[in-house]
Amino acid sequence: MAVDDQSQLLPYARRPDFKVARASELSGTDRRFYRFLEIVPGVAAWGTLISIVLASMYAPFLAAYFIIAFSIYWVLKTIFLSVHVRYNWKRLKHHMSLDWRQLISRFKYDHIYHLVIFPFYQEPQEVLEGALQGLIAAKYDPKKLIVVLAAEGRAGTEAEILARTMEQKYGAKFGHFLVTIHPDDTPGDIAGKGSNTHYALHQVREKIIDVHHIPYENILTSIFDVDTVIYADYFNCLIWHFMTAENPYKSAFQPVPLFTNNLWDAPALSRVMAMSSTFWQMIMQERPDKAATFSSHSVSFKALYEIGYGQPNVVSEDSRIFWNLLIANNGDFSVVSLSYPIAMDATTAPTFWGTLKNIYKQHRRWTYGVENWCYLVYHFTKNKAIPLRKRIGIAAMQGEGYWSLVTNPIMLFILGWAPIFLGTREFHETVLSYELPIMVRNLLIVAMVGLVVSSIISLSLTPPRPAHRSRFQYVVMALQWIMVPLTMIFFSAIPGLDAQTRLMFGKYMGFWVTPKREK
Amino acid sequence: MPQKPQIELLSSIHRKRLFFTLVLIFLISFPVMVFYTAGYRIDLENDEQTIVTTGGIYITTDKSEVEVYLDDVQVERLRLFRSAYYIQNIAAGSHRMVVQRPDLITWVKVLPVDAYMVTEAAAFNMPAIPQVRPITKYVTATGTAIYLGADETTIEIFNTATTTVPIFFTESKRTTSYQSNKEYEFVSSLFASSSTSSRSVFTLISEEERFRFATSTVSAEEGSTSVPSIIERNNVRLVTRLQDIFAVWQGPDRSIPHYYCVTAGDATTTALRYGQHVADAVTVFAQSTTTPLIVVGDRLCRPEIKLNHLRKDVYFYDFFPNSSDLVLLQLVDGLYVTEIDDRAWQNVQQIYAGTDFQVIVENNIIYVKDGLNYFEIITTLNVK
Repeated sequence: MAVDDQSQLLPYARRPDFKVARASELSGTDRRFYRFLEIVPGVAAWGTLISIVLASMYAPFLAAYFIIAFSIYWVLKTIFLSVHVRYNWKRLKHHMSLDWRQLISRFKYDHIYHLVIFPFYQEPQEVLEGALQGLIAAKYDPKKLIVVLAAEGRAGTEAEILARTMEQKYGAKFGHFLVTIHPDDTPGDIAGKGSNTHYALHQVREKIIDVHHIPYENILTSIFDVDTVIYADYFNCLIWHFMTAENPYKSAFQPVPLFTNNLWDAPALSRVMAMSSTFWQMIMQERPDKAATFSSHSVSFKALYEIGYGQPNVVSEDSRIFWNLLIANNGDFSVVSLSYPIAMDATTAPTFWGTLKNIYKQHRRWTYGVENWCYLVYHFTKNKAIPLRKRIGIAAMQGEGYWSLVTNPIMLFILGWAPIFLGTREFHETVLSYELPIMVRNLLIVAMVGLVVSSIISLSLTPPRPAHRSRFQYVVMALQWIMVPLTMIFFSAIPGLDAQTRLMFGKYMGFWVTPKREK
Repeated sequence: MPQKPQIELLSSIHRKRLFFTLVLIFLISFPVMVFYTAGYRIDLENDEQTIVTTGGIYITTDKSEVEVYLDDVQVERLRLFRSAYYIQNIAAGSHRMVVQRPDLITWVKVLPVDAYMVTEAAAFNMPAIPQVRPITKYVTATGTAIYLGADETTIEIFNTATTTVPIFFTESKRTTSYQSNKEYEFVSSLFASSSTSSRSVFTLISEEERFRFATSTVSAEEGSTSVPSIIERNNVRLVTRLQDIFAVWQGPDRSIPHYYCVTAGDATTTALRYGQHVADAVTVFAQSTTTPLIVVGDRLCRPEIKLNHLRKDVYFYDFFPNSSDLVLLQLVDGLYVTEIDDRAWQNVQQIYAGTDFQVIVENNIIYVKDGLNYFEIITTLNVK
């Protein structure tokens, strides 16, 4: 692959450390500082958990008051987040009911192309077909779409053959269609979606965009997981938001991922995890100033070109690309919430244990996004052009997010009882010792109201029931939310702790491809 | 046709308002809940609303479906605590606890409650009518116990106890149609090999002392055949001394059971809170140089508690199965269970009535040999 000329890059993006992925890529003080940052999240998480155990043993009164405070905080946080979910649900439903083609009719947008990149590995043909048929079914001129099927070289000839088959079958339906094969073992890459996308962007510019002299500012790039099936008005909705955005070239456009493609075939556990992820994204839709991009999203090609297409050497590439853009643009880059859905697969496997394993690995990969915290704090100390308040705000909020992700569920559902079991005799003889579990239990029951909201909203987002599924499934879908305390611990906190511990010890993770399966 | 969606993004002002409202709720609710969990309550019964301090009682029960009364008012069980009652909002002072069920002996105790503190107690309720399971030499093909050459009136214990299993009496003494009972053989061998005696343990100990004095070259162990060997469980040792039995704490100071201890205070206060006998014992140990009081935090703990044997001779004693808080005592008129906890008094409950019988506890089962008959004493009852 030809090395790009650096002249197109934004000044900050020209720094040699702009695309740093880990401490070992730096030297001297920078290396030590970055390594320190890699250690901080793990130490903070383990330190918190161990501190609570020690406090429960040696200062149980203090630990008990902390647990009461934390339980109240949890209830209020649940209320806060539930308000956001409920509001976004209302907005999502409203957006789904709108005629976006009509809404954008007042704009001139014929000059805009949508570059859609589907990086894939070993996914079966029906997954690829589902994604491509979704594009064809969209209420948008397919000739304005540049579709890239980005295969992995390490997936062997089967992946290339499949991509070529898709090209033959669907290529003519779109404006342009390109199959790229990401070479195996490219120096500096880590195998995964990020490096594949990075390569595909280079290729599509050289082979299609530049050849057809399409201005970069006229291209909206949608980087989609290969299981992404767009809703019919996605591109219209995207155009409307692009046209009305305050600064469209300094914005990333984030849809709401609904993991509903295979929802009726997924086990309850998988559904809960999938919907929980959706809810989190719905919350972030209402707080775009605090959000980063996640999974499938869209951004102008110009913006990507100015930073050299993001990083091919990280695991959590979907969010890293936003931090690249934010830092390279001196803080002047933001997320625009589309509040419009895209459909994706819930994580499954042929067996129940396989599903558990896949969910665990997928969430470990997602929570490895803590590597982004190290990246952004490192660059926040370097790029003084970003307002200090913004730097502190983002670093604190992201840090709190990764810390609470791994510690809160364990504190709430396990360590909340620690003073009762580990406390001193003096503590055990007090009213506080007896009232603590009652108080925590009552507060958790109040917090469960949030689950009722989740249950109602999830049912409303469920696709129509297939004929072979009984109505009883709706009852199961409503009640499945009682698993949340367990899923929070085993598929959120523990994989997160796993990821942060690996980063702490410098055992860097690679990209684990979530197997996609459709019926 | 509108030019934009009607529902806007949740506004920053709206979000901030919500955030600060929740922060305000936190700031108000946190101290309120801390005070509540510590034992503070608002007294709504008085005209002038005042903040009062309360304590609690935590009482475990060994039987299900019992009724618990605090000062004659029945209390509900919190589901959070299994087989236990946590009673909240109790004013400081002495309170009478009653644990009862119609088919069980009632347990009663007066307990002191302090503000911010929880007083613990373990209630026990033995069957009101002693329950036995006969172990006969022969059983039917279906395992039913059978008494040969006997009827209901022949086996006296059935006048005062109930059998928990079906039994069969026959005037015939023919054994050909019955099976020999392996359990009978096991239990009879237990009693045959045991050193259980029908004499008072106090008498045996006196004789032992005299024997040791007369033959000072013979060690106590060599001469001891009938005096009970050391009985100890969970660091509590049962010791006989001066016509009494004591439960002596052997473990580390900080692990001593709560009922050995009293809150530090003068003798009058201690007597009011725990009973005169407790106050007297505390005074004795406070002056003792050999067995002083154990000080744990602000508590004064007696190293031993005298067991209530109803001023009768004791023929056998051991821990109640699976417990180090209860002790079995064979007295002149039956087998009893007493609690070591002597706050206010010790509840003593009879589980077998008889005058000439022997007792063995094996594998946490209480066996009785009464005349030629063997029984297992049953202390649990199915709820009717």
